[in-house]
Amino acid sequence: MADTQRSTLGPLPFTPKAKTISFALMFIGAVGFAISLMTNAERAWHAYLVAYFYFFLLGIGGLFFAAIQHVSKAGWSVNVRRFCESFTAFLPVAALGAIGVALAGHHLYEWMDKAEVAKDPLLAHKAGYLNTPFFIIRLVVFFGGWLLFTKKMVGGSIMQDKNGDPAITVKTLPWAIGFLLFFAISFSLFSVDLLMSLMPHWFSTIFGIYTFAGLFQSTMATMILLILYCMRRGLLNGYVDENHMHDLGKFMFAFTVFWAYIAYSQYMLIWYANLPEETMFYLPRVTGPWTWVSVALLLFKFVVPFLALLSRRAKRNLNFLATIAILILIMQYVDLYWLVYPNLSSEKVIFGLPEITTWCGFAGVFMFTVGRFLSKYSIVPLKDPRIHESLHHHVVY
Amino acid sequence: MDIIDKVISKLRPKARQGMAGIWLDEHKFVEAAGKVRQSGYTKFDAISPFPLHGIDDAMGIPFSYIPWVTLTFGLTGFSFGTWFTWWASSQDWAINIGGKPMWSLPAFIPIMFECTILLAALSSVGALLWICNLPMIDPPVIDPDLTSHKFGLFVPEDDTGYDAAKLEQLFRQLGAVEVKKAEF
Repeated sequence: MADTQRSTLGPLPFTPKAKTISFALMFIGAVGFAISLMTNAERAWHAYLVAYFYFFLLGIGGLFFAAIQHVSKAGWSVNVRRFCESFTAFLPVAALGAIGVALAGHHLYEWMDKAEVAKDPLLAHKAGYLNTPFFIIRLVVFFGGWLLFTKKMVGGSIMQDKNGDPAITVKTLPWAIGFLLFFAISFSLFSVDLLMSLMPHWFSTIFGIYTFAGLFQSTMATMILLILYCMRRGLLNGYVDENHMHDLGKFMFAFTVFWAYIAYSQYMLIWYANLPEETMFYLPRVTGPWTWVSVALLLFKFVVPFLALLSRRAKRNLNFLATIAILILIMQYVDLYWLVYPNLSSEKVIFGLPEITTWCGFAGVFMFTVGRFLSKYSIVPLKDPRIHESLHHHVVY
Repeated sequence: MDIIDKVISKLRPKARQGMAGIWLDEHKFVEAAGKVRQSGYTKFDAISPFPLHGIDDAMGIPFSYIPWVTLTFGLTGFSFGTWFTWWASSQDWAINIGGKPMWSLPAFIPIMFECTILLAALSSVGALLWICNLPMIDPPVIDPDLTSHKFGLFVPEDDTGYDAAKLEQLFRQLGAVEVKKAEF
C-alpha cells in the first residue's frame, strides 16, 4: 500500500444534504405508516415488523461482526471495524422500536389475543412461553444485554481512539466472548418471538440460524456499500483498499452459501417428513402466487450472487461487488417479507406504498443514527494495537 | 521389490545442475528474486521456510490455474450427481418412497452437493500435487537450513543466458551470503 498519499483521517462529515435525506425518509415513513395504520392496521403493523427487523439485523449484525473480530484477534479488519461498530448506533432506536412490536399486539400475534388462546388448546398449551408479560420481559432482557455489550465493546473502541491504551483491546476480549454466547441464545429467541410466533402453531428449530444467515449476509453488504462510499470520497486512501474489500466480499459470498444451506436444510427436513404441523409454513409459500416469491429468493438471494461472486476477480472489482451488495440487500427485504407476509395474506402477494414508506422511515432513522455516529468519531480506529496488520493487508488468494 | 524400486525411481526427481544463492534477510531476498527475474531468467526457483508476501509478483509467477480445475470438476461432480440420482432412483431401480415422485429434487440435492464438493476438492488437491511434482522422494537439498531460517534462489543450467560467473556476481551484489554450484 502506498504510504505516500494517505488521507488525513477524521470523522465522516454528516453533510446537510445527507441529513435532509434522512429526515425526508423519516417523514415519508411516519406519514406512510400513520396513513396505513388508519386504513388497514393489520397490514401497517406487518410492514412495520418487516422494516423494523430488517434494520435491527444490521444493528445487531454490526455488533456481532465486531465481536468476532475481537474474539479471533483479527488484524486485517481493524481499518474497517469502525463501520460495523457504527451500525450499533441504531440499537437504542431498535429498543424503542420493539415497543411498537409489543403495541401491535394481536394485529401481529394471535397468541396475544386472550379470546383466541381460550379457543385453541395448542395455544393454551404454549401460553407458558407465548404470553404478553413474558414477551415484554424477554425484550427488556435482550435489549438490556445488547446495549450493555455495545457500551462495553464499541465504547471501549472509541475510548481507545482518545487515550490509545492497548489494554482496552485485551479487556474487550472477554466482553466479546460473552456477547457471542449471549447473542446465540438471545438472537435465536428474539427471532422466534418476533417472526416465528406469527404462526404460533408452527415450529422450526433452525429458524434462528436462518435469520442469522440473512443478518450476516446483509450486514456485509451494507458495510461494503458504506465503505465504498467513503473510499470514493477519498477518505480512506492508504487505509482500505481492494484487499480489505476482497475479504469482506469473501464473507458476503460465504454467508450467501450459508443462507442457502440453512434455508435448504429447513425445507428438506420438512418436505421429507411431510407432517402437517410443519408443512403449514411452506404450503402457502409454494402454492399460488407466493411460489414466484420463493423462486425469486432461491435465484436472486443464492444462485445469482453465488455465481457472480465465485471468482477472485469479481470480489476485487469494487463496482461489481457493490452491485451484488445492492442485490443482496434487496433480496434480504424480500426474504423477511416472505417470512412475514404470507401470514397476512396467503392467497395474494400484497406489496405497495405501506411497505415502501415504512421501510423508508426506518432507513431514514438508520441513516441518521449511523451518520451521526460516524460524524462524531474517527472512521478508522487509529490507535488499535493491531492496526499495522490492517495497513499492510495483502490477500494473495 | 521390483515394482517398488520402479515407483521409487519415478518419484525420485531428476536433479538439475545450476547455481544457488543463500540469503538471510527476507526483504533482500524478495528484492533479489525480482532482480534475477529482471535479468532475464525465467526457470529459476525460490526456496523459503515460510510464505513470503510479494514473492509471486517479484518472480513473475502467473496466477494459478487451480481455480479452473476446481470449477470444471465441481461442475462435473454436480452433473454426475444429478444424472446418477435420476438414473438410479427413477430408471434403473425405481422405488416409491412415501408417495413422493421417483425423482424428487429435494431428496437428491445433498447427493448432488456432495458429488460437487468431492470432485472439486479432490481435483484441487490432485492438481496441486501435479503442479508441485509431488510426491517426491529424496529431493536434492541445497542447504538444510532453507527449512528453518535461510532463503535460497536456484537458477538451473538450462535457463536462458545461464552463465555461472555472472550469476555468482549478481547473487553477491544482491546480498547473498553464500553462492555455490548446486543441484535441485
